[in-house]
Amino acid sequence: MTMALEALLIEDSKTQAAQIKDTLESVGLRVRVAYDGPEGLREAIENPPALVILDVKLPTMDGFQVCRRLKRNPSTQDIPIIMLTEKADPKATMSGLRAGADDYIPKDIFAAEHLMETLRELGIL
Amino acid sequence: MGMSRSKGPYTMQPPVMSVRVEDSMDIMIVRDTIRRAGSLLGFSPANRAQMASAAATLAELVLKTGEPQLLHLNGVTHGHKTGLQISSAAPWLANVSTNNVLIALRSKLGDLVDEILMEGENPPIIFMVMWMNEARGDRKVTDDDGQPEA
Repeated sequence: MTMALEALLIEDSKTQAAQIKDTLESVGLRVRVAYDGPEGLREAIENPPALVILDVKLPTMDGFQVCRRLKRNPSTQDIPIIMLTEKADPKATMSGLRAGADDYIPKDIFAAEHLMETLRELGIL
Repeated sequence: MGMSRSKGPYTMQPPVMSVRVEDSMDIMIVRDTIRRAGSLLGFSPANRAQMASAAATLAELVLKTGEPQLLHLNGVTHGHKTGLQISSAAPWLANVSTNNVLIALRSKLGDLVDEILMEGENPPIIFMVMWMNEARGDRKVTDDDGQPEA
């Protein structure tokens, strides 16, 4: 039996975290949730996941900073990071991609579909 | 969404799609459609995110004018280069200086697209193009000004 890949979800909204967790679990991923940036960084470094799903608006440290730190750290730099966010303007999109995100997906009605497509492309599914 | 024809300086290639922009829901459809077109052409998820943001920005501009327009989304080629093009008629810009429009769009869109062009007068048509190239696959983590981090 193969072990399911694990995603680390960094999302401060408990409601949204539960919805995203359900979506990821429905395609066979195990999901750990961190509710702020520092907790997410600690989780990712101590026990590197196969994938990070990262919100932008987070307490203490925003998603761009978290992304940059993970991509700078040799032990986490190869982990794909998908930013999933309500901040969809051009400036925020470029900030996410410059921080090293592998995709930047607005939380709209197509978000789950786009997320699945990217996970397939990254070889996660 | 459907087939369409659009002008522009480059040779058009499939996929060729269009979305009528008349309410805010259409912005999401534009994002979705451009991501699909980018995927068909082989653009990475990050590049598709860039194009989706640029296309959504153009769709938002159209919505603000209150006059529905078709946004055309299609592949383009130029020599060996393959790209993804977004275009829309912009009748509200008929009497505005092309230079001023391009400066404003570049300021709003930053580096999301490689080229922003305006062609024709009646009505003018805005074109935005992102080219696929090897450098795009070699992204470096940079700060918000696009400078490599120390």
